[in-house]
Amino acid sequence: MDNLRIEGTKQTPDIEFNASTGILNISGRSIPENTFEFFNPVLTWLDEYAGVAPDKTVINVSLEYFNTSSSKYILEIFKRLKNIMNDGKEVLVKWYYEEDDEEMMETGEDYEDVSGLPFEILELEE
Amino acid sequence: MDIYKKFRSMMDNHIILSFKGEITSDIISMVLQIMESKLDAVQEKGAVKKKIFNILVECMQNLYHHAEAEIDAETANRSAMLELFFDDSFYYITTGNFIKNEDVGHLRDRIERVNSLNKEELRKYYREILDNNRISNKGGADLGMIDMAKKSGQKLDYEFTDVNDRVSFFGLKVKIAKQK
Repeated sequence: MDNLRIEGTKQTPDIEFNASTGILNISGRSIPENTFEFFNPVLTWLDEYAGVAPDKTVINVSLEYFNTSSSKYILEIFKRLKNIMNDGKEVLVKWYYEEDDEEMMETGEDYEDVSGLPFEILELEE
Repeated sequence: MDIYKKFRSMMDNHIILSFKGEITSDIISMVLQIMESKLDAVQEKGAVKKKIFNILVECMQNLYHHAEAEIDAETANRSAMLELFFDDSFYYITTGNFIKNEDVGHLRDRIERVNSLNKEELRKYYREILDNNRISNKGGADLGMIDMAKKSGQKLDYEFTDVNDRVSFFGLKVKIAKQK
């Protein structure tokens, strides 16, 4: 299947999902008014990916800002990955936060708790 | 013309941004762009700037999705207000918009609930709503208030004012503590 590549903008994140390596990167900021429009193709891609996912998937989440309407979709991404894990494959979330951004670190813990996925919460090197 | 007086008062009240009008997608991008350069000029650490920016995004998106027009007419625009200012201890973001009378009760309950919770309870409530609520087509307004309260670390100040038999005016003030 095709990889998913969406260039980041001032309002939407940069997405680089590789179906063959199982490395999924999402970075930048996610503050669009219409989150559905942005995230729907991402979720559709993940639905297809579930069928072909390699033994291990690592998602690197390195977001500077996101709005609350994006937060629901981020959880949806994790839920898709949880299903892949339930199929017996390995999934790891690497959640990055910028130095001093305690809020983003805690949000990572919140997602770890809610999603049931294994998380590594890491401070970004300056 | 009391323009100088008005200017003086904006200066004395440390107004960073003051806007009245319909919040469109273009306005949001423009305001954020302006705020980014303005916040760079603010002598604050990254964490405070980030909080201001985040809460501002949330406030504007609330106005974008939920502001009503004062009168029920196709041509009526959904005017709202947004202001950002500071004093010695806090930054303040205030918003004002019309809201349908029938929505007042629900919104008031939600803010009261959020205001009744301490930091840990707020976090627990956030996880609960994040997990349980369906995505509404207007985005996560329910999470919005929780998120703003979490980020600001302060109670949300609000007021409802009667306007007419269709709408009320909803005023919200969010505080962000300055870096000590």
